[in-house]
Amino acid sequence: MKILTKRAYALLGLSVLLIAGIFVFIIKYINNASDWVQHPTNKHLFINGQLQTTGKIFDRKGETLLQTVEGVHKYHSDLTVRKAVMHAIGDSYGNIVTSAQVAFGDRLSGWNLVNGAYRFNAQRYKPGSDMTLTLDAEVCAEAYKAMNGRKGAVGVYNYKTGEIICMVSTPTFDPENRPDIMGNPDKYEGVYINRLLSAAYTPGSVFKLVTAEAAIETIQEIDSRTFECRGEKIIDGDRVTCPTSHGNITFKQALANSCNVAFAEIALEIGSSTLQKYADKAGFNSSYKVDGISTFVGKADISDAEGGELAWAGIGQYSNTANPMNFMTYVGAIANDGVRVSPTIIKNHNGISSLLSGLVSKGDRVIAKETAAILEMMMRNNTIEVYGERNFEGLELCAKSGTAEVGGGLTPHAWFAGYMDRDDCPLAFVVIVENGGSGSKVAGSVAGKVLRKAVDRILIE
Amino acid sequence: MGFAMESVKHYYGKMVDLMDNIGATIGIYLSNPLELSEFYTFIVRWIFPVLAVLIFFRCTLPLLRDRGYNQIWGYLDTKNGYRIPLKHWENSIGRSKLSDIVINLPFISRSHAVLSYGEKGWIVTDLGSKGGIKINGEMLEKSGVVQSGDTVSFAGADFLFVSAEEGHEIIEIENKLHRIINFFSTFRYRKTFLMILIFQLLGGLQIYFASLGEGVSGSIPIPIGLFILVECIYFFLLSRFSQKYLELELLIFFLCGLNLFIVAAVYPGQLMKQTIAIILGIIVYAMIQFIIKDVGRGRKLKYILVFCALILILLNLTVGESRFGAKNWIDLGFITFQPMEFVKVAFVLAGTATLDKLLTTRNLTAFIGFSGICIGALIIMRDLGTSVIFFTAFLVIAFMRSGDIRTIALISSGAALGAFAVITFLPYVASRFEAWGNVWEYADTIGYQQTRTMIAAASGGFLGVGGGKGYLVGIPAADTDLVFGILCEEWGLIIALTAVMSIIFLSFLVMFLMKGCKSSFYAISACGAASIYMIQTALNVLGSLDILPLTGVTLPFLSNGGSSMVVCWALLAFIKAADERQRPALLDGDEEDEIEEDEINVTAEQSSRGKYEDEDYDYKDEDDEERAVLLR
Repeated sequence: MKILTKRAYALLGLSVLLIAGIFVFIIKYINNASDWVQHPTNKHLFINGQLQTTGKIFDRKGETLLQTVEGVHKYHSDLTVRKAVMHAIGDSYGNIVTSAQVAFGDRLSGWNLVNGAYRFNAQRYKPGSDMTLTLDAEVCAEAYKAMNGRKGAVGVYNYKTGEIICMVSTPTFDPENRPDIMGNPDKYEGVYINRLLSAAYTPGSVFKLVTAEAAIETIQEIDSRTFECRGEKIIDGDRVTCPTSHGNITFKQALANSCNVAFAEIALEIGSSTLQKYADKAGFNSSYKVDGISTFVGKADISDAEGGELAWAGIGQYSNTANPMNFMTYVGAIANDGVRVSPTIIKNHNGISSLLSGLVSKGDRVIAKETAAILEMMMRNNTIEVYGERNFEGLELCAKSGTAEVGGGLTPHAWFAGYMDRDDCPLAFVVIVENGGSGSKVAGSVAGKVLRKAVDRILIE
Repeated sequence: MGFAMESVKHYYGKMVDLMDNIGATIGIYLSNPLELSEFYTFIVRWIFPVLAVLIFFRCTLPLLRDRGYNQIWGYLDTKNGYRIPLKHWENSIGRSKLSDIVINLPFISRSHAVLSYGEKGWIVTDLGSKGGIKINGEMLEKSGVVQSGDTVSFAGADFLFVSAEEGHEIIEIENKLHRIINFFSTFRYRKTFLMILIFQLLGGLQIYFASLGEGVSGSIPIPIGLFILVECIYFFLLSRFSQKYLELELLIFFLCGLNLFIVAAVYPGQLMKQTIAIILGIIVYAMIQFIIKDVGRGRKLKYILVFCALILILLNLTVGESRFGAKNWIDLGFITFQPMEFVKVAFVLAGTATLDKLLTTRNLTAFIGFSGICIGALIIMRDLGTSVIFFTAFLVIAFMRSGDIRTIALISSGAALGAFAVITFLPYVASRFEAWGNVWEYADTIGYQQTRTMIAAASGGFLGVGGGKGYLVGIPAADTDLVFGILCEEWGLIIALTAVMSIIFLSFLVMFLMKGCKSSFYAISACGAASIYMIQTALNVLGSLDILPLTGVTLPFLSNGGSSMVVCWALLAFIKAADERQRPALLDGDEEDEIEEDEINVTAEQSSRGKYEDEDYDYKDEDDEERAVLLR
């Protein structure tokens, strides 16, 4: 019998394989059950494709942004707010994949690992599945109005706590009265995309912040240098131009006036591999998570650029693209002494996740403190010297504009990114207006309106 | 510190919120008319998993308690007064460490002889040894009868053969797990049975309540009541008239109860049929156990069943009907069944052999031939899943028979090539493999069943949404191929995993029993049966979850289906037959505390005796030269 006892290990092998398979399932289950359960065919959670939320979504002031009444979704009572927060909250059919309804659908539906989709007495509302977002509905509405029908995105967040106050993407629509989206492909181009989270644009001059950061740290005595701008410069046959001839200007003036010629020279001096390093540090080529929602990756592939290409890269017009949300957190890092705080959109984390978010470090240092201070000084100077302090009175604005050429005879994209250097309102922002024209004028005025509203709202908290 | 304060604040805030919400919550609960059955589910869904896990451990741990009391069937006495006990009906003798009786002398062959007990009494068979065997001085040709008092000489080493009266003495097989498992040995099987009854009564009520609105509830109480009655009668009879452990049957009763809940949720109308199948299964189980009690009878049964199986295969190929793409049903007008399910029993038996045959002929031709016919027929029937089951069982049994890894590897690689050819050339098979691993991309076409299973499993959570309240039941073949999903959705992940672990436990039990088997007939058939359970479970559960391709086989004891249920019980008889042990009489007592003390004493006594005996015949387990000299 001993010999058969040995041979019976064949059977043991079979059962061990089976157990291994069961383990694979358990691991998959723990990791993916919350995704599986959100399939629209799941009759436990969906009726006619609408997620039957047992929780409500509130904004930071307690305004109800979404609730399910008698099996039907009810959004905010105000049309402008509904449109403004549509990308954050999502439509009723799960089209906005980065929206709260999709990303946090498991929690909103009251699902959890222990209880599954069980609902006592066909219960329609569980207070435990309520969600409060960090958004302020009025600031979002203001941003939507300021965009005035143009396509683009507005983001505002607290660079100390990471709370996103405003997240607006246009074009948008009213989720309670869905328009004919298929019939108006131009008007609703990319309407299901949250442009703040899931798009990437040519950065244009806002990228000069990254070049400037690299220059401060790698070029000795850069602040005492002067650059000669004659309106254009030929580098290896490529022509870099400025709108006007800036003459002899300092580094600080070059940033304020966004002098392409000066920054082309600086980029050449920095070298492609160093510039690549700083771009990576600034958050290019990476995707970040906002409470588990991945942001789109902005690309900066500079390391092989030479001559004219490198010069163009240094002024943000090479093949680089920037994701607005990621760029906003880079600017936020400058504001926060070089520490990048991860943005978050959930205000009331539930038990485990609040514990986890407490344990995970509040931010990563991405810029040296001294460098951040110099950049801050320069960005403040931009506002005072060029953008006009009276346009942003009292905001203590530090900013950089960008007018990103998009080619094809189209008006350039307008960028405006920066922050308020105020301890009572530590807000960083980004505004992008597609084909808007001048960065500081068009995007800057949107930013001014939104920030003033945000200050009012924050100060009454 | 700051973080701690933050947390305290946060949780204080939560508490306040909760207080505020309680009033609102009660209001909301009462906003829907409150149904009693809702309250019932609310409570029992917490009770079921606890009961299930308790039942699982109370059923499995006692079965692993001791390696069994091997009965001694005879002795070989050496000249200098040592007694070597014969612990099996079949004992291999040789120099190899893997022999049951190791005689470590240079002139003994590695596998020298087999001493076996059968209809004609004790027989010694020469395994082609160099030194040969003499009985009372006469050289043995191949095999011959030995009687008590004969001198058997293996290549000159003389032993006096003494047969013992049946069950003359019992010795305990040492068990490393003993100490740990002993802690749990006080589990009383009566209490375990009571738990199972409670589980099934509460579960039956749950299913009944859930079905109230659907106009089918009338067909539920009677079959489940009948099943519980049969279970009770069986338990009563066995606890009175059998000395064997009962936990194996209890575990299977638990699974069958779940099976009825599944059938009640999917096809309430088939509940009675399924209950009858379980009862038939129990009868077949008892009959097979009785027949194979005697190895000679078992061998006759083998030939009869193989003959019947060949006829069934032939019938299936000629008058079979197609369902779900496989032509594996026979309709006799009053009853429909799947013949290939029954062939499994014959298949396991066909693989068996006694130790002398196993060690002399090493001839697998007949078994390979029969396996070829079965698997070939299944491929013609387009029943891919079942052919995989047969092939895997074939590999396990063939390895048990021959111990030849190289041959098995050769056969496997051949089969892999064949399978590759089948997959490539048969489009209906290829489509299944196309979905494998990417079911979410084909969520509404070829990945339909798997994605729905996963959605259902995730919806159930650990505790389930309540029996009879799932939605997976509406998916085609949910009652057979996707039962794991139904269990997860309605009864929760904990119970679903417990059920699967219960099936997996059967193979560990078989491994555990191997050493104490009287005959290799039981050892091989038990392994064959367990390997069929394992591969079926793997294909069914992992297939429905997209970890393996979905092949559409049943989950043992849990899927809806009469043929499958009866055959699962029939196969269980082989595992039961391998278990020679008797349950300790003290387990029959009712009062646990009082007995516990006695038991500790008894155990201490037994273990000391066991130790003494171990020392006594250590010489045959170790190649210690000194002791070998002693033998001479």
